[in-house]
Amino acid sequence: MSNVNQKIAPDDLVISMQGVSKWFGAFQALNDINLSVKQGERIVICGPSGSGKSTLIRCLNRLEAHQKGKILIGGIEMHQKMKNIDKVRQDIGMVFQHFNLYPHMTVLENCMAGPNWVRGVSKSDAKDRAMAMLERVKIPEQADKYPSQLSGGQQQRVAIARSLCMQPKVMLFDEPTSALDPEMVAEVLETMVELAESGMTMICVTHEMGFARKVGDLVVFMDEGQIVERNNPTDFFENPQSDRTKLFLSQILSH
Amino acid sequence: MYADNVIGDKLIHKPKFILGLLAVAFLAFFTFNLAGTMFGEFLRPVIGEPKESGLYGRSAVALVLAVLFVGNLFLISFANIKVQVAIVWIELLLLFLAFFYSFNLKFSFIQSKIGFMITQGLFTTLYISAVSIAIASLIAIVGAVAKLSNNGFAYGIASFYTSLFRGLPLLMQVFLIYMGLPQIGYVIDAVPAGIIALSLCYGAYMTEIFRAGIQSVPRGQWEASRSQGFKFGLTMRRIILPQAIPLIIPPTGNQFIAMLKDSSLVSVIGVWELMFLARTLGQKEFRQMEMLITAAFIYWGMTMVLEVIQSRIEKHYRKKGQQ
Amino acid sequence: MRLYTKLIAGAIMASVSSFSPVWAGEALDRVMNKGVLTVATDANWAPQSFLNDNNKMDGFDVDVAKEIARRMGVGIKFVTPSWTIITAGKWAGRWDISVGSMTPTKARGEVLSFPGIYYFTPASFAVQTDSPITDKLQLNGKTICATTASTYELYLQHDLTIDAIGTPPFKYDVTPGKISSMKDTSTCLNDVRLGAGVRVDGMIGSLPALVAAKKAGLPIRVVGTPAFYEPLSVAIDKGDTEFDAKLGKIIAAMHADGTLSKMSMKWYGIDYSAGVK
Repeated sequence: MSNVNQKIAPDDLVISMQGVSKWFGAFQALNDINLSVKQGERIVICGPSGSGKSTLIRCLNRLEAHQKGKILIGGIEMHQKMKNIDKVRQDIGMVFQHFNLYPHMTVLENCMAGPNWVRGVSKSDAKDRAMAMLERVKIPEQADKYPSQLSGGQQQRVAIARSLCMQPKVMLFDEPTSALDPEMVAEVLETMVELAESGMTMICVTHEMGFARKVGDLVVFMDEGQIVERNNPTDFFENPQSDRTKLFLSQILSH
Repeated sequence: MYADNVIGDKLIHKPKFILGLLAVAFLAFFTFNLAGTMFGEFLRPVIGEPKESGLYGRSAVALVLAVLFVGNLFLISFANIKVQVAIVWIELLLLFLAFFYSFNLKFSFIQSKIGFMITQGLFTTLYISAVSIAIASLIAIVGAVAKLSNNGFAYGIASFYTSLFRGLPLLMQVFLIYMGLPQIGYVIDAVPAGIIALSLCYGAYMTEIFRAGIQSVPRGQWEASRSQGFKFGLTMRRIILPQAIPLIIPPTGNQFIAMLKDSSLVSVIGVWELMFLARTLGQKEFRQMEMLITAAFIYWGMTMVLEVIQSRIEKHYRKKGQQ
Repeated sequence: MRLYTKLIAGAIMASVSSFSPVWAGEALDRVMNKGVLTVATDANWAPQSFLNDNNKMDGFDVDVAKEIARRMGVGIKFVTPSWTIITAGKWAGRWDISVGSMTPTKARGEVLSFPGIYYFTPASFAVQTDSPITDKLQLNGKTICATTASTYELYLQHDLTIDAIGTPPFKYDVTPGKISSMKDTSTCLNDVRLGAGVRVDGMIGSLPALVAAKKAGLPIRVVGTPAFYEPLSVAIDKGDTEFDAKLGKIIAAMHADGTLSKMSMKWYGIDYSAGVK
């Protein structure tokens, strides 16, 4: 564990991907991905379905294994034989498309579990922290309910609070609004915007272009496992360079 | 099953159907000559000596029974479904009891033996089954985890175990363990040998139940836990198993109920459980039927009690899941 | 069920018999040290051994076992493993002795020792009460009923070998005209009760069974002296000659002082302990 802070890369690089490739059998899901994320940076990844954006984000905390290239998280390389994977994961919050709350535990217990079980936080401190985070996502009154009693938007906000309770260094969002009914998208996005404004380092796979415009530092467009284009939001939307990006934008913005 | 929201006319309220059913019932009762049974006795005032009543007695009995049967159906049809079920249960139970009553059982003999059957037989059966199901559950958890693991050694052992113990008759396992273990130096008594055999056999079946239960927990639960940095054991214990258990409980309850009856196999190595006593107690006085029927009712009663307990537990978990 | 049990037990014994642990000499020490003789017997075989009204083991075999323990100066405990397990041998010290009316065949002699024969089951002829036949010799040339494949049928076919150790010699003095081969003793009994010559003229079966049937009210009569005797012995695991000798002495003494004939009279009403005399 002593090497956690050993190899801190220059410029506070939180995440660094160098020439990362991944295959599912013969199918190449990621093709030579290079991406760096600095402390406090907000990255939005978009692209058509099957373009590899979810795979990319899942490689970052090694829910998927890459086969080629290097991924560094806080200077630690993610590889097959790493011993401290659990410690690294504790610092990476992840929000899933389908929330993945623990259905047999109350909202409060969902939020307390991580800090109490693996962060060594006492039960009462964990509870205080959980309540604070539930305040932050604006559903403290739901603390004693079970996930199945909440709406989709509320569940996703609980999922965000659950991640925040771990006090992560970076948050990954894997299509957090795709499974929601339209009227619930706004409340989740609002929560995410507030989080972004608080200075959290975030990587979001999303099609919510309004969100990208509002808080993104960098928009990355992927297709067929490659990063086709990356730019700041203004230029990305006003002046896309590649044909594929233009086509994609025309498709999602025409609705 | 799917119940439609449109209710048609009840068949039993149509005169044609009633007449048809009467005819069928009459023929059915007529086919089995029932004049010589207790039904014939009841009709003695009408048909005279049942044995000599001939075709007249036979058809009279059949007609009365057919009318009773159809009339019963007709009357029940007006009750709501709960009452219907209750009435049918009571009627079948009475018929069943009448069936046993016709054996001319000696109830004083049952009375003198039932205490011992319960204190010795029922107690031993329950004790052996309860201990075995507990051990089998532990084996099943370990077996299921091993079967789901990527470790070839663990998978190899677990799959060999389930294959072997599901592939051998339980009776053979009882013999193997009771007679085989002493050959390698471990002499164990009949009760522990029976418990080991039942545990290993049911552990093998329950490994599959637990494996299916664990597998039915969505992958996202694993991903959420692992992404929070929970290790395998913690994830299993606190996240996966609590969700798998409600799915595991009903089939495990069935296994326990089945085990109560399979535990009778250990009587071959001389354990004085319920089945052993049922076969033994009545032997000297040629009262086997009394003891077998008594044991049958004890088994049945025990099973019904367990079914109630099982449905309570199921309800408890279902409630928890839906909250 | 019985057959199935036997097949399985047989298969298992065949597979484990290659292991042969040594228990030699220790059985007697074990009994004396513990102060308890553990006896294997059946609980389902009245009047030899069964559960009595107080739910305790009782019967002829049980009385014999108790007397053996008394003469050894130790207490007694009964266990009731299935017959297959008892006759399979290799008891591993779970129990010390079988007092269960076992015929000491040569096959069983491979795994068990038979220290002493304590009684004999005679095979006898029976006829209907009103039958003119008064002696077994009169059954020559008649139709006689016997259980299929039993020692009784083999006797009628003049093809009987009891390879048991200590079997008294016998001779074939009845030659039936026709053998009626039936599935069990009670079928034969039912045919005999119909009357002489209706289906059969007489039958052959085990004397205790015939006596019991007569007692139960069946109209039958035993005729002539027994045709042959099957000896029945106590059994112990092979290997402890000291124990073997001691039990042999005790059983000889029980024969000599009349204990066994008294017990036989008590349970059967007939002295089966004497055998051929």
